Amino acid sequence: MPPARLPWLLALTLLLAACQQSEPEPLKVYRHAIDGIPASLDPAHADDVYAATLVTNLYDTLYRYKYLARPYELTPSLADGFPEVSEDGLTYRIRLRDDARFADDEAFPGGVGRPVRATDVVYSLKRHFLPDTRSRGDWLWRDRIVGLDEGTRLSDPDAPVEGLQVEDPLTVKIRLRRPYPQFTHTLAMALSAIVAREAVEHYGRSFGVNPVGSGPFVLARFDESRAVLEPNEHFRRGVIDLDAEGYDPARHDRFGLARIDGLTFPLLDRLEVHFIPEPTTRWTSFTASSGVDVVMVPPELSERVLAERDPIRLRPEIASRYRSWHGPEAGFVFHGFNMDNPEIGHHPDPGRAARNRALRCALRDAFDWQARNRAFYHGLGQIFPGAIPPILPAYDPDADADSISHSPRRARARLAEAGWQTDNLPRLVYGLESSVHQRQMFEQFRAWAQAIGFPASRLEARAYASFGEYARALGTRQVDLFLLGWTLAYPDAQYSLQLFYGPNAAPGANSFNYANPTFDQLFEQASSLPAGPRRTRLYRQLNRIVIEDCVIIGSLARTRLFLWKPHVLMLPDRDMVGGHFLRFVDIADQGG
Amino acid sequence: MKAPATTHKLTAGGLRAPLAVIAVYLVAAAGVWLGWWGTDWSGIQASGRQPPSPEHWLGTNLLGQDIFSRLLAGTATAFEVGLLVSVPATLLGALVGAFAGYFPQRWPDAVLMWLTGTLDAIPFYLFVIALSYAMRDHPAAMQLAMIMTFWTLTARIVRAETLRIRQLGFVAAARVSGLGSWQIIRRHVVPHTVHILLVQAAILFVAAIKAEVLLSFLGLGLQDGVSWGIMLAEASQEILAGHYGNFVAASAALLLLVLAINRMTDELQRSADPRSRGSADPAARHEATRA
Repeated sequence: MPPARLPWLLALTLLLAACQQSEPEPLKVYRHAIDGIPASLDPAHADDVYAATLVTNLYDTLYRYKYLARPYELTPSLADGFPEVSEDGLTYRIRLRDDARFADDEAFPGGVGRPVRATDVVYSLKRHFLPDTRSRGDWLWRDRIVGLDEGTRLSDPDAPVEGLQVEDPLTVKIRLRRPYPQFTHTLAMALSAIVAREAVEHYGRSFGVNPVGSGPFVLARFDESRAVLEPNEHFRRGVIDLDAEGYDPARHDRFGLARIDGLTFPLLDRLEVHFIPEPTTRWTSFTASSGVDVVMVPPELSERVLAERDPIRLRPEIASRYRSWHGPEAGFVFHGFNMDNPEIGHHPDPGRAARNRALRCALRDAFDWQARNRAFYHGLGQIFPGAIPPILPAYDPDADADSISHSPRRARARLAEAGWQTDNLPRLVYGLESSVHQRQMFEQFRAWAQAIGFPASRLEARAYASFGEYARALGTRQVDLFLLGWTLAYPDAQYSLQLFYGPNAAPGANSFNYANPTFDQLFEQASSLPAGPRRTRLYRQLNRIVIEDCVIIGSLARTRLFLWKPHVLMLPDRDMVGGHFLRFVDIADQGG
Repeated sequence: MKAPATTHKLTAGGLRAPLAVIAVYLVAAAGVWLGWWGTDWSGIQASGRQPPSPEHWLGTNLLGQDIFSRLLAGTATAFEVGLLVSVPATLLGALVGAFAGYFPQRWPDAVLMWLTGTLDAIPFYLFVIALSYAMRDHPAAMQLAMIMTFWTLTARIVRAETLRIRQLGFVAAARVSGLGSWQIIRRHVVPHTVHILLVQAAILFVAAIKAEVLLSFLGLGLQDGVSWGIMLAEASQEILAGHYGNFVAASAALLLLVLAINRMTDELQRSADPRSRGSADPAARHEATRA
């Protein structure tokens, strides 16, 4: 290089350096990864874990679960303390914090966020019953809150609802039709997040991509690949009290959490949530220095990550490079039948209904949960009958395991006895998300079905591009056989058994479209009971009913195995704490 | 009137190797169609991720399915897609091209060339993916999507050849003998583009297979079967864990078939090209260049 150009080159370098200095990179950036893309950021549509992860950070809920306490414990978030509940368990009086504000947005006069008031809580709940909202969460409160009975559709947000009253600007009074001990838990769900009416009306149909909440973060970017969140400057929740969050040095010291005690929320300068559906792609991103900071270990890589499975022990090279946590999920995965299809579900003719039941039971007998566990869940999942997973107090360790045992012989016998033959078996649509794993799971299911004489040509795979589309297909009863994961929003079997409650039929949580008056009656009875042996007995009886009816093929509770980079100080949670844990995430100095 | 010969000598030596390879693939596919082998590609025959063995020549996949059976079934899928797409797309392209070329600068030519240009302007894979997705409930959505996009190049080439042919004496003779335009196109024009159509069919055959593999890899292709694309998609989840069975089998099969067909196409093209035949007719060379 000619010497005369050297000064120019130096000057240019300095200029570039100066430009960089004028726009410094955020100091604390955490890159989270989830395996699906949220279809909407509207709380009324946040009934899946992907949307809920973001919604609970953009909006706030009245309650949330403590960060570290296990079993899970509720704690107030937007509410100022727990609700005052009347003696009869029917009236809840909830007071709001006086320092909560919505984030600044053009929806508000002057673009400045206003305080959150009791009217917002009432509006947010009422909104689920406005037809335009197309809520996916109305079933939580339908027929529970006085005035929001079965079939209620509000024509106007100003229409009075007897059970939803504003007592003063910061106090809301909610009146229930009958005791609902899980009610406070529903107010910790993303579906119950508090929205501002101005924002909903300002953005209309595009409200789902223009969130305006009072959560710890605001949305800076949202597309098919990621969401970028930045701190909400109006978010005031005092300082972090780790003891109150359930901190236990013996369990949590190794995560480096002690240093966040006494700091203010949120701790990050930028939160990126990357949507990476394919497990190995997430892994590749995780192992790259500029990639995501956390990963749930994909089953393909369990051999590379695990030195031992029982008890779980990581390979030394993994243990030395990353922080880790493993534990049972608060939820489960299962296959289900669409009982609304008379070809396989409910049928007015009792004879045909019995034959359909035999077919469902045969397909359940053909299912090999042990093989599914080995292939897709590291072999670490817990297989259990029905819909009450081991994490719940109502779980019955002595329940009959016939429904989860692989028995092709019994399956063939059932088919023969019910008169099912190759030529009269119905054609069924199996719904799946368009991913390699889901396709493989379909192939596995089809192979098992073939092994009992169910022709492959009668089982049609219908792939949906995203979870959102798949959920919509379930909501419109387009598939006869489906695979779902169900994450508990509160630690009570009522939450999983409501999957079979008749009034919750699609588009509600009852994707089975199961309609059994006996079940419904017992479910309603159990839902009103406080925790105790009587309620547990009823829950178990309900579980036995759905097992007997062969409505569900299941289930399996996965073991979560998280790895994350050592500079990230957190305890990840995908279950009940869910997205709420992100407000506690901190970044250590890269050296420390 | 006898038309001028457009057939010519193929170099037998150059074609032998690719034809032998294609024949092997054809036999593999035919065996699947006849139910001789590769029929139990979906069955779970062993435990997952078995290494190659006398029972499972290429080992088993995650589910315990035999990779070799899936490879054979995937070959049949590839040939089905290749034939189902290349034959109709070539015929459609031939008809459109001949019709447009026979009526140059008139409205049929203008409309058909506008349509061709419009379809060509859309990025190919994007268009096929969009069409496949829009028609995803149709069992042959992917094949229809490919046919709808693959005919355009053939149409352009045939149109150019038709522009040349329609000036030739035997076409003028057919016209004065009272034959209608459609009869002339069918009897005299299209048959004289057969050398082009063979090359185009071969090109489209391999293009369809590659597109199918890509679409199936992305989850937009085959829904109820197995294909090399599905095997490669599975491989994408396994390679990091050190399982190469699906990847080696599907990618080697695809590579070898593409190489063989490309080689065959080159040979066909060379033999159809007047310059490579040492033609002394400068006009013919010019037309060939335009084509």
